[in-house]
Amino acid sequence: MNAAEELKQAMPAAVVSTGMLIDKPLAIIKKEEILKAAGKVKEMGFDNLSVITGIDYRDRFEVIYNFFSYKKKENLVLKVVLDHEAPSVDSVASIWKVADWLERETYDLVGIKFTGHPNLVRILLPDGWNGHPLRKDYDMETEQFVTMGEDGEDIVSTDGSNLLRRR
Amino acid sequence: METDELLLNMGPVHPATHGVLRFKLRMDGEIIRDCEIVMGYLHRGTEKLGEMKTYLQFIPYTDRLDYLSAMPNNYAYVKAVEELADIEVPLRAEYIRVLTLELNRIINHLVFMGSLILDLGANTAIMWGFREREKALQLYEMLCGARMTFSYMRIGGVREDLPEGFIPKLNDFIKDMEKRIVDYEQLINGNEIFLLRMKNIGVINADEAINYGMTGPSLRGSGVNYDIRKLEPYSIYPDIDFKACVRKECDSYARYLVRMDEMKESLHILRQVADTMPAGDIITTQKYGIAPMTGAPSAVMTYFPRIFTPPVGEVYTRTEAPKGELGFYVVSDGTTKPYRVKIRSPSFCNLVALPKMIVGLKIPDLIAAFGTIDIVLGDVDR
Amino acid sequence: MIANAYELVVYILSAIGIYDPINGFFQNYGMEYLLRIIIIVVEIVVLLVFVLLTVMFLSWLERKMFAWVQSRYGPMITGPHGLFQPIADGIKLVGKEDIIPAGADRWIFTLAPFIIFVPALLVFIPLPFGDSLIISDLRIGLLYIIAISALSPVSILLAGWASNNKYSLMGAMRAVAQDISYTIPLALAAIAVVLYVGSLSTVDIVRAQEGTWFDIIPRWFIFVQPLAFILFLIASIAEMGRIPFDFQESEQELVAGFYTEYSGMKFAMYFLGEYAHMFAVSGVIVTVFLGGWTGPVLPFIPVQITSLVYFIIKTYAVIFFAMWLRDTVPRMRIDQLLNLGWKIMIPLALLNLLVTSFLLTAGVV
Repeated sequence: MNAAEELKQAMPAAVVSTGMLIDKPLAIIKKEEILKAAGKVKEMGFDNLSVITGIDYRDRFEVIYNFFSYKKKENLVLKVVLDHEAPSVDSVASIWKVADWLERETYDLVGIKFTGHPNLVRILLPDGWNGHPLRKDYDMETEQFVTMGEDGEDIVSTDGSNLLRRR
Repeated sequence: METDELLLNMGPVHPATHGVLRFKLRMDGEIIRDCEIVMGYLHRGTEKLGEMKTYLQFIPYTDRLDYLSAMPNNYAYVKAVEELADIEVPLRAEYIRVLTLELNRIINHLVFMGSLILDLGANTAIMWGFREREKALQLYEMLCGARMTFSYMRIGGVREDLPEGFIPKLNDFIKDMEKRIVDYEQLINGNEIFLLRMKNIGVINADEAINYGMTGPSLRGSGVNYDIRKLEPYSIYPDIDFKACVRKECDSYARYLVRMDEMKESLHILRQVADTMPAGDIITTQKYGIAPMTGAPSAVMTYFPRIFTPPVGEVYTRTEAPKGELGFYVVSDGTTKPYRVKIRSPSFCNLVALPKMIVGLKIPDLIAAFGTIDIVLGDVDR
Repeated sequence: MIANAYELVVYILSAIGIYDPINGFFQNYGMEYLLRIIIIVVEIVVLLVFVLLTVMFLSWLERKMFAWVQSRYGPMITGPHGLFQPIADGIKLVGKEDIIPAGADRWIFTLAPFIIFVPALLVFIPLPFGDSLIISDLRIGLLYIIAISALSPVSILLAGWASNNKYSLMGAMRAVAQDISYTIPLALAAIAVVLYVGSLSTVDIVRAQEGTWFDIIPRWFIFVQPLAFILFLIASIAEMGRIPFDFQESEQELVAGFYTEYSGMKFAMYFLGEYAHMFAVSGVIVTVFLGGWTGPVLPFIPVQITSLVYFIIKTYAVIFFAMWLRDTVPRMRIDQLLNLGWKIMIPLALLNLLVTSFLLTAGVV
């Protein structure tokens, strides 16, 4: 029995289905139950959250959590399916500190909201950037210009007006 | 007396931030009370570019992630695609790959050592490190014509076979390098000031380090006996004798020592690989490769199709890059371009733990701890 | 016995028989003092030129040594082995735009680089370059040197404050904190020697080191006061503001510390000041602990020349040590230096002073 089935046994209500991602056990989790499931996963010994991936499938979003256990030397993949209109899911930053930045990155680039995140702001792109680049409907034609303001804040414009020298 | 907190902006342009990274520090005199890391100045949208390019075209972009160790980046990506498409790689190609990977680990750690010691104010080690790095880069130049952005890995193998006279030159390098490592250790390890600056600085214990997502040598410096090459052996690592270098002290000095030890281990691996290099194809012929062309310059030369469509699916692979766990999450929708490429970069995740390490310490300690987690901004910002 | 350089000039002029006619010429107009002033001004100009040339040479030497240690060549293009590199640098720096930041205190910002040069040059006044090669043998020579050297942080503080930059200010604050913690052991270590000699005059200190024990070991104070020498050396390197104690600059932490905002000629002043200071401090170490100008007397060669050569050789040995240190050693942390200064060096210096005075009182040495 792999870790995904173990999870399904422990929390039958939370796990929609289990399977394999090439060689890694995969469990698809209900969106509302992710925080509980994550807590359970941590209890099961998966102490390392490797990566959080957000994918835009045009009709839905998927958030994929890759876990690894240093104790049991096992992998586990959790997947959450979100609707395309207002994708949001509970943050797991309270359980894994690394999730703080990984979720911020996913928010920044894919535009998935993580409710309960302590500081959900853009991390790689400047604050005030228009759109989330890794969405399939991201407008790649519009150029955006970034400058730094007096106090180090980012100023973004689409017409380049902020590039003019101010006095 | 009343004192104000000082808000200090370290970076984006600062001698010790290894590129364009910005620390927003709240300081009480010299003591750091809070540290916020601002990044993204080098963000080039590599993941978006991955969706725009074919599978083969994306390889050069992976060079530019961690530009100090481009080979492991190449490798992590092609490994992901190979797993996705279930491609078998010829043995000789795997040997050549491991050879280049370990050589790159040495290069990376030489730069790490140099820049760390430079950050501490001693200027000599970086030049010594670059001297040996130059020799290694010349080996790479022989191999693939490039010195930093190799694009040498191909899906299913490598681009070119080892040139004539490569293995003897490699052996010379290994011999030379063994002596040089002793030199470095004499220069650095026993230095009282160096120990003062490194010991008990930037302490993070094993549980915290794991929770903060640290991987690679930085995590092994916290006493976690782990190495993806050991835990999830890939390529020819199961056949090779080496050990994961672990230190228990959890401080900056331990992280430094782990990397010095790893250089020796890498030399050990290089020696084994150079001695037992098998003959054979350098790129897969069984599935997507085409049989050797008649009149091709080299008999073993085969071609992997430029346009290639892996089956629908998704895969996450982890490799042990010099800086930590480098993972690629590749999603294929059955077209010629990846649907999504997610890069799990070691520098990004290792950086999460930095504020935890240095709050309550002083600016010089920030520099020291930051030096020992060994990041490259191209890898952080992607 | 020729006491100082003025008398030496008078002696040489008399020896070739032109002093009396010149002096007589000035006496006709009742202005003997004018000749005196002219001679002293000439001395000072010679000293100044000598120091500036040395400083330029030192900056070249530093780069070259740095390069040798790192298995590089260093400057090679300008002149033989890049010997004219300092001149090229100077020309480049003069040609640079002189930027004064908008928020800076203009007057102090402009004044500070010149102030740093003054103490570095004033230190040379009571420093004996050789037998009778001294501008003025002050009776409080050593005290004067320590007092004047302690002035250089004032300039650093002014520069750091006037730049209106956080890094500059932090560098300046560090410089001041550091100054207090190393000047005390520096002075205490020197006092042990003064007790031994019974005079603050630099010439007296050097004369006390003439001769040898058992015809082999020179009677230098490094052998009499080894602990004081080590303390003095460490404190001196801190005073030079060089690695491992270059906190006021500490490039990797504070960008360039107190001179972050400086450019062009003002930057060059700091650059030159640093090397002038280094030369001066090395000269003081040689004078106090390494026997100054003393050395074997050679026949047929005037003692002034041999002593000058000995002094230069010894000074360069100390400079070599300081450069070598910079090439190999990382920087300490400021609080570690303060700990070293207050908790180790000052108690040790006091202990050394106590033992020395006890032994002197008991008549053992």
